Amino acid sequence: MSKVQLSNVTKTYPNGAEAVRGVDMEVESGEFIVFVGPSGCGKSTLLRMVAGLESVTDGQIQIDDRLINDVSPADRDVAMVFQNYALYPHMTVHGNMSYGLKNRGMPKQEINAKVVEAAKMLKIEDFLDRQPNQLSGGQRQRVAMGRAIVREPKVFLFDEPLSNLDAKLRVQMRIEIKRLQRRMNVTSIYVTHDQTEAMTLADRLAVINEGKIEQMGAPIELYNNPATLFVASFIGSPQINLLPAMFDGQYLSSGDLKLEGFVDLPQSKELVLGIRPDELRLSDDGQFPMRVDIVEQHGSDNLIYGAILGAEQESDEETEFCFKTSQDMLPELESNLTLGFDVDRALVFHKDTGERLR
Amino acid sequence: MASHDSQYQAVVGKSRLSTAVAHAILVAGLVFLLAPILLIIASSTHSTSTLQLGGLQWLPGDRAIENYARVISFEAGFSDRITPMGMLGNSLIIAIGVAVLTTVLSFLSAYAMVFFRLPCKGFVFWFVMVTLLFPLESRFVNTFGVVVSLGLINTHAAIVLPALAVALGTFFFRQHFLTMPKELIEAATLDGAGPFRFLKDIVVPLSISKAGAIFVIAFMIGWNQFLWPMMISTNDDLYTLVRGIGLIGQESGPGMALVVITILPPFFLLLIFQRWFYKSLSV
Repeated sequence: MSKVQLSNVTKTYPNGAEAVRGVDMEVESGEFIVFVGPSGCGKSTLLRMVAGLESVTDGQIQIDDRLINDVSPADRDVAMVFQNYALYPHMTVHGNMSYGLKNRGMPKQEINAKVVEAAKMLKIEDFLDRQPNQLSGGQRQRVAMGRAIVREPKVFLFDEPLSNLDAKLRVQMRIEIKRLQRRMNVTSIYVTHDQTEAMTLADRLAVINEGKIEQMGAPIELYNNPATLFVASFIGSPQINLLPAMFDGQYLSSGDLKLEGFVDLPQSKELVLGIRPDELRLSDDGQFPMRVDIVEQHGSDNLIYGAILGAEQESDEETEFCFKTSQDMLPELESNLTLGFDVDRALVFHKDTGERLR
Repeated sequence: MASHDSQYQAVVGKSRLSTAVAHAILVAGLVFLLAPILLIIASSTHSTSTLQLGGLQWLPGDRAIENYARVISFEAGFSDRITPMGMLGNSLIIAIGVAVLTTVLSFLSAYAMVFFRLPCKGFVFWFVMVTLLFPLESRFVNTFGVVVSLGLINTHAAIVLPALAVALGTFFFRQHFLTMPKELIEAATLDGAGPFRFLKDIVVPLSISKAGAIFVIAFMIGWNQFLWPMMISTNDDLYTLVRGIGLIGQESGPGMALVVITILPPFFLLLIFQRWFYKSLSV
């Protein structure tokens, strides 16, 4: 049970590239934090700084109030699970799991007991004598987790651990990681670019963009109340529908469309209206005429993609919306639908700063 | 027939003609490489007079036992101190010395270059590579001076040491280390392995087959040395098998027998290491 504290953590590479720009964060004991963001946003760098694999240019990292900026990775009491597993290819599963303990001079019997216990927990006790190349991807990832578990670290670090697995296995392992973390109650930091993984695993989510934390909070809080356009468009699948718009004091207008019910918005500034696909509904007096382009049947629900007619266009492309509806709604392609939305549930952002206005 | 051909093509992915051409080229190469060895083996079974009158022989003769017996009981030099066993011993000491030390040295230098943060790493690497342009023969005179000043004239060390700087080994190991995923180092670091443990527990076990290949190559270099041992030693006790061939006379039956004997140790070494050797070269 340990808490992790980052204060104004910065990473600047020798070539001047700024990977992390002043991150402040407090991870509570036993909490599961997920860093999510597009590739190159600095989330992995931040994780690697906690692990000690990257130096800290500025700021402080503390684990349980102990400053660890200059502590070697081995002495930080953290364990990491890598994307490509990073198992020692010439050692057996047992060898892989026990190596860290052996280096710490733990007696052999104690090591054995720990390895067997962790292997049972991960259901890999039958493979202890095998080598990594005799295991499947999922089994390898379990071994990598086993190697982290036996160390009984203060903090677990996961660097996109499920990216190399196929979709089905990824869901399975995701649930297992969550279960394991609950059971062991170890503070964990998990990096991913997959927003579904992020939403489902996290106690709290940190959306990172260009080396900064864009917003941090419970996943559902970020979904319902995104602070910025970036968070709104990154969290949620299918993605939020965005419409360029302007406010003239009475209407929020986009191209030929005039939307009523908006007040207190800055006038003659470029704005963006955001509506989640599941907030749209079919309604004869709705605000958006839509031409159906594609219908995706996902089983329990259908996603209908189409162009919003008359809406302002970004560049040459028509403004596309996604409408999430039930499985029995199957409109003809090229047919027109009229969609409505609840003004109270719509989000409005400042286009340039990305700041949310309502 | 035509359908057979197309079936064959479907299975093998090549036409019979192109397979035949490929085989012909391979067989020609094989003959080209094996002919000199067969020539030597056949010639080693003929009498010296046959060889001197008729040149090297392609077919086996009847003097094998005599020739090989003559080689084994061969004694030469100022006080008959040059014997086959002595020469074999010297050759082995030198070849194994060169092989072991070259492998260890190039392994360690590549390890330092790849896994340590050294200043001017790139420069050091290319500086090492440049030494490939200066084989031992091109620096005989200077090296001789160094060996004399170290007082090593007429020692095994004098023959072994100058041959150790094999940049090829360093290059080979460096390329191999660069293929190791960096997460392996990071995982080991988190597991509390320092540079020595990482070397001993991770890098060495993962490099054994590469090291085997370098060992074989360096062994050959040491074994085949001729000019340098001749320059640096005046003592008959330091004669190697390769130099011995000159002593016994090349166009003689026993001379040919000695050549065959000289080929054998590297041959067996390669036979033992061949699995590793090919595995590491093919990657």
